[in-house]
Amino acid sequence: MIKGQIISGRFGEIIARQKSDEELELGELLVADTEKGKILLQVYDLLYGSQISQQNLELISGMKLEEHNNLEFMEPHLRNYKLAVMKNLITINEKKAVSSKNLPVFFSEIREVTKEDLSFLTKPEDAFMIGNLRSGTKSLDFPIYLPGKQVFSHHILITGTTGKGKSVLMSNLIWDCVEKDYCALLVLDPHDEYYGRNKIGLKDHPSRKVVYYTSKNVPTGARSLKINLSAVKPEHLSFMDFSPPQTQAMNAFYKKYGEKWVESIILEKPLNVEFNDATVAVLKRRIVFLLDLDFDGEQLYCEGIFDLKAGETTISDICSELEKAGTVIIDTSNFSGQTELLVGSLIASETLRRYKNYKVRGELKDKPIISVVLEEAPRVLGKEVLERGSNVFATIAREGRKFKVGLVAITQMPSLIPRVILANINTKVILGTEMSTERQAIIESASQDLSSDNRAIASLDKGEAIVSSNFARFALPIAVPFFDEEVKKHIKKKNETNNFSGVKIE
Amino acid sequence: MKFAHIADCHIGAWRDPKLKDLSMQAFIKATNICIEKNVDFILIAGDLFNTSMPGIDYLKETTKRLKELKERDIPVYIIPGSHDQSPSGKTMLDVLEEAGLMINVVKGTIKDNKLQLKFTIDKKTGAKITGLLGRRGMLEKKYYEQLDNTNLESETGTKIFMFHTALTELKPKELEKMDSNPVSFLPKGFEYYAGGHVHIVRKETIEGYKNIVYPGPLMPSNFSELEKLRRGTFYIYNHGKLELIPIEIVKTYPLEIDANHKTPEEVHEFIEQCIKNQDFTNTIVLIRIEGKLKSGRQTDINFKAIFETLYKQDAFFVMKNTSKLSSEEFEEIKINTSSVEEIENVIIREHLGQIKTYFSDTEEEVTKNIMNSLSEEKNEGEKVYEYEEKVRKEINKILNL
Repeated sequence: MIKGQIISGRFGEIIARQKSDEELELGELLVADTEKGKILLQVYDLLYGSQISQQNLELISGMKLEEHNNLEFMEPHLRNYKLAVMKNLITINEKKAVSSKNLPVFFSEIREVTKEDLSFLTKPEDAFMIGNLRSGTKSLDFPIYLPGKQVFSHHILITGTTGKGKSVLMSNLIWDCVEKDYCALLVLDPHDEYYGRNKIGLKDHPSRKVVYYTSKNVPTGARSLKINLSAVKPEHLSFMDFSPPQTQAMNAFYKKYGEKWVESIILEKPLNVEFNDATVAVLKRRIVFLLDLDFDGEQLYCEGIFDLKAGETTISDICSELEKAGTVIIDTSNFSGQTELLVGSLIASETLRRYKNYKVRGELKDKPIISVVLEEAPRVLGKEVLERGSNVFATIAREGRKFKVGLVAITQMPSLIPRVILANINTKVILGTEMSTERQAIIESASQDLSSDNRAIASLDKGEAIVSSNFARFALPIAVPFFDEEVKKHIKKKNETNNFSGVKIE
Repeated sequence: MKFAHIADCHIGAWRDPKLKDLSMQAFIKATNICIEKNVDFILIAGDLFNTSMPGIDYLKETTKRLKELKERDIPVYIIPGSHDQSPSGKTMLDVLEEAGLMINVVKGTIKDNKLQLKFTIDKKTGAKITGLLGRRGMLEKKYYEQLDNTNLESETGTKIFMFHTALTELKPKELEKMDSNPVSFLPKGFEYYAGGHVHIVRKETIEGYKNIVYPGPLMPSNFSELEKLRRGTFYIYNHGKLELIPIEIVKTYPLEIDANHKTPEEVHEFIEQCIKNQDFTNTIVLIRIEGKLKSGRQTDINFKAIFETLYKQDAFFVMKNTSKLSSEEFEEIKINTSSVEEIENVIIREHLGQIKTYFSDTEEEVTKNIMNSLSEEKNEGEKVYEYEEKVRKEINKILNL
């Protein structure tokens, strides 16, 4: 279907006149056929055009508004029109797609994109679906796949303002990954929204491979989140702003008391070196709060997820589950942000340690990529946080890909993440973002040139996104499918008959 | 209400007849204590016997003990464990139950393909007891997945749940590779959760679950357990209070030797020094040697002489463990310290889907069941053709032939 005709412009700023009975939209995909093939174009700006001079237009408008005149344009569809400004996305010659280096033929017609035009977008072997291709506001029935192994090991950023569909996109992504044997996801879920204890969620995945840890009202089949205190080491608290003397005191207690270092701080056990009483008192107070502990003379009590007896194998169980390409969701909605990050830090550190060992032993190739999903990522990847010292998440962002450990960082404030870290995140899923500083941060660090997409990003509606990735030929406009609808397609009632051998059935 | 919680008696475990008898003696001693302490009833949370068809002597002795308990009006409530039933669910416990000597509390109905357990009510105390059996290879997991907890949780009164499975949240570090089920599979709000299967002593309270208890085995059943636990144990619950009762039939004397930078002769000398002039009457001596010998090989250590010395000093039994011993001169052999069951599970999983079967959905379960069936030993007095027929029937049942 012809939608317009190219009439002027230059490379990256091609201007087309819109056909009067058609409607062009920001972000719309169009095709200009050439002698050898075709060029895929995308609209990034829209403006008016007219054959009548501005002065005359203003006069005609005045006559209509002020004198209620019934003046009409002669042949209005010829004289007044809309213009679309477009950029080249890619040049397709037969089934081969190459970066565009020339302009479409002058005055060539532009038409709506069809499935056949997109046949060069093939499904990689390790594909995971990120959404359906979108042309303007129209979702095309054309799923977009990315190469999972590369995308997950080179980190993903999901950014957008609240309400633009980050959670739905993330739910879809987790759902799709559950059965992928090349990838495992560790999801730290501060809003307890992915498992779906009271709604449709990952618990409904037919594979039953999702492992869910929670500390409150544990649903049947889920695991109680209990972590043995002996698993916590001073290095796991590096994301917190402890002063140098406090850090030294922690290390001194750890050196002397080993796994019982937390207990020794709380119960004020003696050290070989002296620290200021105030330093130890502050340290004690902060650790008591962080780990939800209580003490009474010589006895330590655990009130929260950290425990003196239970949870000896929790971290190891989670890591083993991830190594089997499992999906582990940890409900962190019941504790503070710092406790959440500590839990994440404990698991991420152990995962990275194991994977480094596998690499040394030459066993890493057989292991799945482990990706850690972090909500409000600037809490650990923010400039201010990293100025105080590095942490395991920053380490993963910088060097995780060498060890098949990646991050899925979710934020509405990407500008708080240093450029060097953003540059290391090779796939960015950009949802609607109103704040210009945030748009700028994304545009500057995107894998493709998005400098002309500033307006398009601001105008992205709920569920609309642009995917910029080192592993995509161009910045892909996508529509995120509704999670509930997708899930309902896959939920099947199992009709198998259970065998309860050994139970006396009455 | 006062009751005893026993688990993992493994009567008939150990290959050596001397050690085999210890498990029987431990059971006798434990039941004697129960009588002395005047308990209302006894819970046995699985693995009373080490196999589904225990030896006649052990069966006879156990029956005698159970009969005495019955005569003293101490009911025994039991769930089958992973050891004391065959893959198809056959167990000698059924015979003992038919004789009225114990009550298997694993009973229920199937509704909408879900398992609804029923309570067995203890007449004396009114305690409501139910539970789920354990099966080899964690096959009980499916039972828990299909267990309808609604009726169990809504029942009023003092409720006890018996289980024979490893619980994820309570697993000790050394058993981290063991398959386990989350606590959330158990029905909430019971007074007591009587566990078995994992040979640890542990009592824990987790939100919604009071008194989740593993009493430990009545008699440790391998070298490491003897080293770690030293003796058997069980719990007595007395009006909300728990008392751990030790069962010590023989003493244990663990001897740990670091062989690093030592010659076999030096190791020998060191052991001789350690055991010199000691009385080992009624004691199991456990010699564990770890590290890398400076020269020679482990067989150069004169264990024969050491054993002779120990038996001369009246040791009840002597055992050695050299699985982590290597030599600088000879190539180190990598020892996988996982349990046999874990190694089997790993191998099964690695080979799943390699051949086309009509049971591809349940291949793992079927494979484990077949292996379990084929590992069943011939019973005393059982004729070869009877044994073969039994195995054939089991396999046919597993394969739905």
